[in-house]
Amino acid sequence: MRNILRPLSPAATPEERQPFAQIAAVDGGLVIAALLLAAVGLATVHSASSELAVDYLPRQALWVGLGFVLLIGAVSIDYRVLLDLSLTLYLLGLVLLALVLVLGDVRGGARSWFVFGPWQFQPSEFAKLATTLFVARYLSGIDQPVLALRQIATAVGLVALPMLLIVVEPDMGGAAMFVPLLVGMLLIAGVKLRYLLTAALLAASLGFGLWTFGMKEYQRDRVMTFLQPERDPLGTGYHVRQSKIAVGSGELFGKGYMQGTQSQLRFLPARHTDFIFAVLAEEWGFAGIVTVLGLFALYIRGGARIAMRARDRSGILIVVGLLSVFCFHVLYNTAMVVGFLPITGIPLPFLSYGGTFMLYNFTATGILLGVDLRRYVNR
Amino acid sequence: MKVVRELREDLIGRIRLMNGLVTGLLVAIACCYWFVQIVQGDHFRELAENNRLRKLPIKAPRGLIYDRNGHLLVENIPSYNLLIDRSRSASLPAALAFAAGILGRQPAELQAIVDRDRATPGFRPVLLAEHLTLPQVAQVGVEGLEFPEFEVEVQNLRLYRHGPQTAHALGYLGEVTPQEVERSDGAYSPGDLVGKRGIEQVFDHLLRGRDGERVVVVDSRGKLLEEYGRRPAEPGKPLKLTLDLDLQQLAIQLFDGPDKVGSVVALDPRNGEIRAFVSAPSYDPNLFARRLAREEWEALIGAPHDPLRDRAIQNTYSPGSVFKIVMATAGLAEGIVNESDSVWCSGSNTIYGHSFRCWRPGGHGRVDFHAALKLSCDTYFYHLGQRLGIERIARYARLFGLGTPTGIELRGENPGLVPDPAWSLARRKHPWYPGETISVAIGQGPILVSPLQIATMTAIVANGGRPVHPHLVEGAEDDLPAPPELPERVLRAVRAGLDAVVNEPGGTATGARPSDVRIAGKTGTVQVIAQSARTNPSSMPFRFRDHGWFTSFGPVDDPQLVIVVFLEHGGSGSHGAAPIAKALYEKYFATAQPRRDS
Repeated sequence: MRNILRPLSPAATPEERQPFAQIAAVDGGLVIAALLLAAVGLATVHSASSELAVDYLPRQALWVGLGFVLLIGAVSIDYRVLLDLSLTLYLLGLVLLALVLVLGDVRGGARSWFVFGPWQFQPSEFAKLATTLFVARYLSGIDQPVLALRQIATAVGLVALPMLLIVVEPDMGGAAMFVPLLVGMLLIAGVKLRYLLTAALLAASLGFGLWTFGMKEYQRDRVMTFLQPERDPLGTGYHVRQSKIAVGSGELFGKGYMQGTQSQLRFLPARHTDFIFAVLAEEWGFAGIVTVLGLFALYIRGGARIAMRARDRSGILIVVGLLSVFCFHVLYNTAMVVGFLPITGIPLPFLSYGGTFMLYNFTATGILLGVDLRRYVNR
Repeated sequence: MKVVRELREDLIGRIRLMNGLVTGLLVAIACCYWFVQIVQGDHFRELAENNRLRKLPIKAPRGLIYDRNGHLLVENIPSYNLLIDRSRSASLPAALAFAAGILGRQPAELQAIVDRDRATPGFRPVLLAEHLTLPQVAQVGVEGLEFPEFEVEVQNLRLYRHGPQTAHALGYLGEVTPQEVERSDGAYSPGDLVGKRGIEQVFDHLLRGRDGERVVVVDSRGKLLEEYGRRPAEPGKPLKLTLDLDLQQLAIQLFDGPDKVGSVVALDPRNGEIRAFVSAPSYDPNLFARRLAREEWEALIGAPHDPLRDRAIQNTYSPGSVFKIVMATAGLAEGIVNESDSVWCSGSNTIYGHSFRCWRPGGHGRVDFHAALKLSCDTYFYHLGQRLGIERIARYARLFGLGTPTGIELRGENPGLVPDPAWSLARRKHPWYPGETISVAIGQGPILVSPLQIATMTAIVANGGRPVHPHLVEGAEDDLPAPPELPERVLRAVRAGLDAVVNEPGGTATGARPSDVRIAGKTGTVQVIAQSARTNPSSMPFRFRDHGWFTSFGPVDDPQLVIVVFLEHGGSGSHGAAPIAKALYEKYFATAQPRRDS
């Protein structure tokens, strides 16, 4: 922890003063995938909200526009400057999470939103970004093939702090999103197999403990109905079933844009947010699904390439942390929509309606590209 | 900070491994979709096409509304709508011809309705007709067996039993706006009917209850097979109003006739419970329960005297001589006059260089405090106003609740205006003229009040100086009496003066004496145009005629009811407004006396 306060960013070299001179060198696949996904998201949000009180398209478009501004901003900041700021950002994230418990508004049962008139902001997204940066900062200072137990424990502690504040809200889905960033970075930084097995055992027993003591009735219900959908025909089981009907009835080429009977007839719950992929599956069929999954794969592959050619250990770790969260969202959400995982509030990056999450994804993409842009110097 | 070469290779190897793992999982998920969409696709397509599961709302019945004696004011009646699901139709023209036969309309008309919705997907039912009669519903059910595309939907309609008679208090429902849906945080969904005005609007959260839902299994023809699950609706809460239906009905009947424009407010001065709340002309809220046609709406908007306007709280007027109640109280309470001081009224006065005439051309002669109220002598109050000054007049007007909303539950209340020099500078950008004080002293000039404010003002005199909060819903307010804010000695003298107005020879409202109960009151006549331009009232155009006020309370020795009558362009307070109050007192105290003292 000691050297965490020592600045990382050296005096800029001439090439570094003009990072955009090398703009052609960034991973194009990642940028194109991100923009295409956002475009598909806009079209699908419009279709999904056609029966709702408001069309969410204009607002989603605003978020995409703002997101792009943030992306440009994130690209132009040297990631080592971000790492130097990471302690401040991390502490700011903790303060915001503590504040939201007092001043926040309750949405969907969790006190997790700041609301200013028509504007809403979810501090957990910001905290996720700040925590990724700070843990990357910490782990990048360790020049060893595998991490010592003490170092692993420190990293776990750094992630557990914001997670606990989010669990109190209580927003289990939001808290769970911190796990992939931690696991991703630890695995890449190097963990002994022995520890991995111990962690798996620990997680299993923790899960059991949570089930018995920590979970609210409705959360247990959700897991149970996932295992036996007919238990609750009006609630979660109904949602799973309707989502599967939507997906399945799309068949190969779908029913056509805005023509999904499941989506348009209000059978689908949360169809413009967490279940947007079901709307896509129904209206565009398997062909549409494969296309969009391909775009996600393109993005992930681009991210992995950026990580592999990053200039230093800290760059690698930042990219891995951000990418792990992205992968988890994509994998969990798409599997949940088709009925293979229990329903929880995990949105699909770039597609689901939601302001803060959209801004988060564009910012993360900007940081990824920023790492890529600064890969040449000083190797 | 330099990464050792082999460490870097380690990291890259692990990244490659994880990238492979994630790509593998994505492929696995794609396989899941392939299985569900391609292998099981037919199965799910069939499920989707048959819509085997349907989620149907169970509409919560809206709360009923009663008057204080348990008379039903609003109820819910079923109404039947005919819908057509075009995707089930074998031959649309045949189906429309069948429906046209039952409805007694031309098939072309129905075709036009269907055409209007051409852009929407075929599986979404289109509303063909509303408010089917029961024989029509039966006909669709029996003869329509070969036309599975028709659905009859039952909807609850609000029936306002007394229509226009309770319109301004109760309000009406209308379709929720997208903004309201968004603000409601899930309480409203698109297409819901919600309160738009009156009690229906303000107490919507209690009246609406909570809709339930049920999921049913239907066959491919849309016929219900079985229920799959349900969550029952929670019915809306009933409301009991403080209104007295008999009094309310009589009051509005007394306003029957063309050019009868105005308002009646009756309330209990002890607790602020409103007994009658009338604004004339009125409208029929049942028009809104059915979908209002554009012509009907335009007729309502363009109707003479704007029936949608609630004259009891949304309009403000000069109070005229009823403001002398405030003036008299202020004069005594401030020690400017005592009860025996008197003024000589010759009929005309010159104050601040202007001529101010008493309403009685020859003057009233010698007038003391008691006589000034009884005769409504302007001269007395001109002099009193000059000595009080506008600041003190304004302070007392506010003590009586003027210039601020009364706090009644309904929305859109006009606070009126109590003018003073600060207001003049801020809003009119010129100083207060001393002559205006003299006008305000007899309730003319810039001062503005609503009929409900005059009712609360009078209630304060009647109940011994305690502020009242007028309300329409029983139990919505705590009825604890507030401490008096005005000395009882002063109010007793004012009440005696108001008693004389009705009960002593020469009073301005002796014609309003009810048979069974002794009341006190004050008349007011508001000039709309300058006195010099006046001719015979009945020959003047409507909009130039005087406004008439009468405010009153009774019984004098134990006030239980305040009645304010305001007639817009309805002539003098004595001849137009006071007789209406008389009839209302006779009704109220003849029919329901035993219940009053609880």
